[in-house]
Amino acid sequence: MAVCSAYTTQSLHSTCSISTPAKTHLGFHQKQVVFYRRSSKRGGSGSSSGPCVITCSAGDSQTVVIGLAADSGCGKSTFMRRLTSVFGGAAEPPKGGNPDSNTLISDMTTVICLDDYHSLDRTGRKEKGVTALDPRANDFDLMYEQVKAIKSGVAVDKPIYNHVTGLLDPPELIKPPKILVIEGLHPMFDERVRDLLDFSIYLDISNEVKFAWKIQRDMAERGHSLESIRASIEARKPDFDAYIDPQKKYADAVIEVLPTQLIPDDNEGKVLRVRLIMKEGVKHFSPVYLFDEGSTISWIPCGRKLTCSYPGIKFHYGPDTYFGNEVSILEMDGQFDRLDELIYVESHLSNISTRFYGEVTQQMLKHADFPGSNNGTGLFQTIVGLKIRDLYEQITSSKTAAPLEATKA
Amino acid sequence: MATLRLHSLTAASEKIPTSPFAPSSRVLSASFHCNEKRVSRRMTINAMGGGAKYKGTQMREKQLSDMIKMKVTEAKQVCEGDETSDECKVAWDEVEEVSQAKADLRLRLEVEKKDPLESFCLENPETEECKVYDD
Repeated sequence: MAVCSAYTTQSLHSTCSISTPAKTHLGFHQKQVVFYRRSSKRGGSGSSSGPCVITCSAGDSQTVVIGLAADSGCGKSTFMRRLTSVFGGAAEPPKGGNPDSNTLISDMTTVICLDDYHSLDRTGRKEKGVTALDPRANDFDLMYEQVKAIKSGVAVDKPIYNHVTGLLDPPELIKPPKILVIEGLHPMFDERVRDLLDFSIYLDISNEVKFAWKIQRDMAERGHSLESIRASIEARKPDFDAYIDPQKKYADAVIEVLPTQLIPDDNEGKVLRVRLIMKEGVKHFSPVYLFDEGSTISWIPCGRKLTCSYPGIKFHYGPDTYFGNEVSILEMDGQFDRLDELIYVESHLSNISTRFYGEVTQQMLKHADFPGSNNGTGLFQTIVGLKIRDLYEQITSSKTAAPLEATKA
Repeated sequence: MATLRLHSLTAASEKIPTSPFAPSSRVLSASFHCNEKRVSRRMTINAMGGGAKYKGTQMREKQLSDMIKMKVTEAKQVCEGDETSDECKVAWDEVEEVSQAKADLRLRLEVEKKDPLESFCLENPETEECKVYDD
């Protein structure tokens, strides 16, 4: 089975690279390069009309697509950077392109911000009286067509939504990566897009924590006050509850962030209780567990072997149901103060899909300056990143196995 | 004369995938000069700590801060009549959008220590936005 990718020569910044097919048992020996004038339209609004370079490589697996849902545009930089870091390499905006591009590219992954599929720009939304959370502000047909195209190995010209100007900028070329992550408000809203996802995550921040985080984010701005921050959250809440929140029942993993239960009446939002809700029965995904799968356990790692400072750390694991689905929930309340706490905890978790002992700790330390590095948010984001790597490896190895089976038969 | 050489330098950089200052004997003196200037400026900025390196980014930071102030005032006005109106929702949504954009920029500058205009300015160092401050 061959997959052909089409590129216009103007878009390439270096000489065309031709991939060498490694699967010689399928009979492909030559690299095939054909030049011709493009006749049919690719996905999205194509701008250039130069000659095309087509490279065909045998067995080049389809792109694995991950969906990440959360509030507020594409500020999930922390999660994204942890995720791309697990695969190696740093994620950078496309070089030489629009400096306001929301896209991040690393060796293995490309992260697309779904705000780029806004059908209405800021002025348009004001005129129609819809927020960015409203599905009416988004072009789901285009989202579906382009994600489908990328998944099947075809590059697309994706629009850019500029968050500074509030306008839709000229498109940028997105070439199919090994892993495509679509992040934003509505990755699981449209059923067709949902079906394209190999794995989906929903970041569920409770209202109290959201308020505390937004205070930390905005209080330094002279334009903001406690009242304006609260008013903004309240005003967006109806649309959020109506359009964004319902997606969480479709997610394969939900990371729920709540205020801590270890400190009574804490409203600082610094110590967090984080729950990793993992759906059972998802292909290529085996939930993380403590002690024994399917059992219920509460665990306080601090004691004789490990001394923790206030308020300590508390874990919980057990099966549950979530919106009618069978799930397993791993929960962490509290903070890591020291390296040895982290490594001790890691050594007691199972099914974390690490390649070596201490990989989770190493990843957390690599990004020690990122928010959440000392609590469950950083820990579970890192673990989800490792599970996605595992999922990717399983999917790609099963794809190379299939043709082998076919030739044997 | 120096400018001319710079242009040919940048044009060359698009074809040569290695260092933008890949010397050829003709432009060696110009590239040396520019390299030096650039390095000394970079060192000054880094000494100041994480923050906008290029004028364009500094301008954008200010622009976003001003927009936040303006849109908060606007939202308060619009919502005075009816807090549940569509106009009110949209006004606060805009505040959120701009606040997040500012925060993203700040995160990139302070945590990752990378100016978003970095790769653009490498190719277009003479534009207004790519002026660097020595302070």
